[in-house]
Amino acid sequence: MGYVFILPWIIGFISFVLGPLLFSLYGSFTNYNITSRMEFVGFDNYIRMFTRDPLFWKSLYNTAYYVVFMVPLTTVGAIVLSVLLNQKVPCTRVYRTIYYMPSVLSGVAVYMLWMQLLNPQSGLVNTALRLIGIEGPAWLFDPAWTKPAIIFMKMWSVGGGMLLYLANLQSIPTQLYESAELDGANAWHRFRFITLPMITPVIFFDVVTSLIGGFQIFQEGYVMSQNGDGGPMHSLLFYNLHMWNKAFEVFDMGYAMGMAWILFIIVMILTALNMKFSKHWVYYEGGDGR
Amino acid sequence: MFKNKAIGLLMVLLLCLGLILTSCTGSKTQQPTQQQEKEQSTGEQAKEEQPKTETPKEKVTIEFWSFWGSVTRRPIIEKIISDFNGSQDRIQVKYTFVPWGDIWTKNLAAIAAGNPPDVIINDINTVAHRANQKQNTNLAPYLAKEKENIKDRFFPQLWEATLFNGEPYALPFNTDTRLLFWNKDHFAQVGLDPEKPPKTWAELEEYAKKLDVIENGKYKRIGFYPLWGAGVDLWLLNSDGKNFVDKEGNVYINTPEKVKALEWLVSWKNRLGEKNVNEFQAQFGSQQADPFISGKVSMIIQNMNFYTQLRDYGKNVKYGVTELPAMQEGSGHWSWGGGFVVEIPYGAKHPDEAYEFMKYLTDVDAQSYWAKWCLDMVANKEAANTPELQEIPVYKVAVENMKQTLITPVPLFAPDYMGNLVQPQFDAAMLGKVSPQDALAKAQKDVEDLIKSNKK
Amino acid sequence: MSKRYYASRRAQQLRAKVIVSIILFSGSIILIMPLWWMISTSLKSMEEIMQYPPTFYPHKVYWRNYVEAWNAAPFTRYTFNTLIICFFSVVGSVLSNSFVGYGFAKIRFRGRETLMNVVLSTMIIPGFVTLIPTYVLFSKLGWVNTYLPLTVPSFFGSTFFIFMFRQFYMTIPNELVEAAMIDGANHFYIWFKLMLPLVKPVLATVAIFSFNGAWNDLLGPLLYINDEMKYTLQIGLQNFRGLVQTQWHYLMAASTLVLLPVLILFFAFQRYFIEGMNLTAGTKG
Repeated sequence: MGYVFILPWIIGFISFVLGPLLFSLYGSFTNYNITSRMEFVGFDNYIRMFTRDPLFWKSLYNTAYYVVFMVPLTTVGAIVLSVLLNQKVPCTRVYRTIYYMPSVLSGVAVYMLWMQLLNPQSGLVNTALRLIGIEGPAWLFDPAWTKPAIIFMKMWSVGGGMLLYLANLQSIPTQLYESAELDGANAWHRFRFITLPMITPVIFFDVVTSLIGGFQIFQEGYVMSQNGDGGPMHSLLFYNLHMWNKAFEVFDMGYAMGMAWILFIIVMILTALNMKFSKHWVYYEGGDGR
Repeated sequence: MFKNKAIGLLMVLLLCLGLILTSCTGSKTQQPTQQQEKEQSTGEQAKEEQPKTETPKEKVTIEFWSFWGSVTRRPIIEKIISDFNGSQDRIQVKYTFVPWGDIWTKNLAAIAAGNPPDVIINDINTVAHRANQKQNTNLAPYLAKEKENIKDRFFPQLWEATLFNGEPYALPFNTDTRLLFWNKDHFAQVGLDPEKPPKTWAELEEYAKKLDVIENGKYKRIGFYPLWGAGVDLWLLNSDGKNFVDKEGNVYINTPEKVKALEWLVSWKNRLGEKNVNEFQAQFGSQQADPFISGKVSMIIQNMNFYTQLRDYGKNVKYGVTELPAMQEGSGHWSWGGGFVVEIPYGAKHPDEAYEFMKYLTDVDAQSYWAKWCLDMVANKEAANTPELQEIPVYKVAVENMKQTLITPVPLFAPDYMGNLVQPQFDAAMLGKVSPQDALAKAQKDVEDLIKSNKK
Repeated sequence: MSKRYYASRRAQQLRAKVIVSIILFSGSIILIMPLWWMISTSLKSMEEIMQYPPTFYPHKVYWRNYVEAWNAAPFTRYTFNTLIICFFSVVGSVLSNSFVGYGFAKIRFRGRETLMNVVLSTMIIPGFVTLIPTYVLFSKLGWVNTYLPLTVPSFFGSTFFIFMFRQFYMTIPNELVEAAMIDGANHFYIWFKLMLPLVKPVLATVAIFSFNGAWNDLLGPLLYINDEMKYTLQIGLQNFRGLVQTQWHYLMAASTLVLLPVLILFFAFQRYFIEGMNLTAGTKG
């Protein structure tokens, strides 16, 4: 019976996804250049990656740096925001719309805007910091601050995650809170012992997907570094950006496919660990214990 | 409940609309073919009536992609295309705008799938690189049949850039060149001759210092900063006129002149101070506010078609334009340019007709029309020298400047050397993390190693 | 005593509300800045946009930027095209993913965990490397220059949404399903009649996400559509980005117009969150 339900996915997977996926796996063992070449070269691409391409390591480091900070920050940010927006205060609908807005705004115009906001002298961010007596960094000009700037940008658009938690919070039965309140639980206790356990499945979802998404960061590095060459001293050369340059600038597609599969293995291991640990902290009301 | 119904109704309505629209598109896409058939039959009839029309060849529609979609450029290219379509009755060009950047990705996917356009506008610096991967079509067989020597149409360095193994794989369309713009009012204010721009780096620096305006320790106006509107690479090319890597794979990164140039750039940044430089730089990065037009900067290096922005948005700026200063007298006023070519993607259905169209695009009429309205430096020498264009001062200076403008095609054996190996060293030197000598020495060695290992 | 207790509690609640309101308000000021900047740029002249330092609000307001921007390309046409794609993507995503997600969450079958891992793993491979083979595949199917590559796959589930539905279904007690099974209901019935109403907020979320995804998608339509009359809004916006000079006033005017429907839709759709809450409260687990 279960198979009937997942049949649509299986059909879609086999007809649209599996072929290209296998092709890219095979391609990673060739010198495929998209248009004219595809000869088997064994592990050559992989060997080159690990031994002769310093930018491979650099881009991996940049991406890991980004993921390590971005995932916890955006998760906590989205939870806090959704709890706030779940309160019965006037104009919640307006607030929700405003807070959701950044995640719909997209495109190059937004990045151009951020370049203005992060202007070290006259930008809004550093002007605000100056008001509280802090001299802000040079952000996108200083290799040490480019990645924090990007993480900061990402924080701005936690609205998408907020939406998920909001949907979840709304489905927590209100009686639970009412009875807890009668027992004299304060706001923190209510959050800690009712809300938090009830939203763990979504937290788990959020962590897993933003981890996967984080490793695929591309657009930000591409646009903010102008021409996609990776920002000052390659500090914004993310893994996917390096892969993109290899694939579409120098047409070394076989190599890029190899990089994709290395990324696949890394993220797969992390996700598996995540899954394993999830048993200790994710609470499924309707889970089957597994 | 009622609201649910309303939503449902809306959805149904949308769906209906969608269906109508799709059916519309269906009929619309069919229309041209029907029309074509009609035209074709009438054309044939006409031929029967008028025996003077030659070769009853089939009518062909060719696909042409470029990234010119703005209200300023699109009408120009469309006019050229309709002129071409009207000039003969065999080939019809269908123009499609594909956004900048993504156009190459789309082209690549289409080549891989075997359904590319017939003609595309592409980057001039990577023609040979693409030819090496079989992404474009060799034009030598077509040129061999010509009576005219097509090569002579173009500025020589542009023609050079289209060659792979000595044979052309594209025809140059347009290019550009970097020039020095200066604000004449500012010059007059500080007692400099408004008609005498700096000719050497030393003069440039001397003038710039005079033009700086500092109030309460803050820069109100900056005379000049070399890296606004230009890159480190431009100044290094300007210093000795030698490309970083030549066709044979010789590397000229760590030359004495280039080291001196990088040192000069670093000293300039140190003089103005990191903060002041970044402040203005961020504005250039946003591509909106323009400090030169706003009078906050007195001299700037810009692409020649910065002229159109001054013309449209900087009506009260009195400016002059000239070649780049030379490192020292006699070292050459080297400048740099990029540009675009027209080429036939590999596997295009109608290469013969595509070539006819390309020939038209790069001929004097189309090129001078393009130049007149877009103020681009066009690849066709004769078109660039038409008297009408020479009357525009910027254009005249720019055409002169073509003699000392370098094009930097990417070397086949190290196509990504600049971004991967050289640029980060420039950054490190400019940020004061390494000395200019060390930066260039490292870049030189890395590039040499890369070329050595790739040439094997 | 109890009266005083309630009074103090009410005061406490009021205080909490005021604090939350202040936080939300100040946060929204920061968030609205970009929108303000967008709108103010959209009303400026190019001369003013080029000014340095930039002006905070337009000194002379040009409403006609909006008309000119809209007429610079067939935007009305593009809007309909985009809506068609969005409509099918939303319907496809909501139906297929809620269905498949149910299978992964509530029905036991052999190899379920393994398959779920496969689902997740398809999300991990970066799209670039499958971009070319996927294009070739759709090209072989004869789907290039149609909306099929942009809509059909959404009817077969997408990893992100399947996983999301699964997680939400998992929060619903199994007893509910079991009780219905005892009453003789089959899984289709349970999914449609019992589960879908319970996960309404999720349906709304998926609808919003997939709508936005389709609305903001640039690369998809750009790759597959060759006919300018079939272009979408996002491609239309690219008309204003020039190599020499971006027409910021037009770009921002058109971007604002493109953004508005999404915001309105979101504003309107929020009702479903509230409804969702009432329902769960009513069923009493």
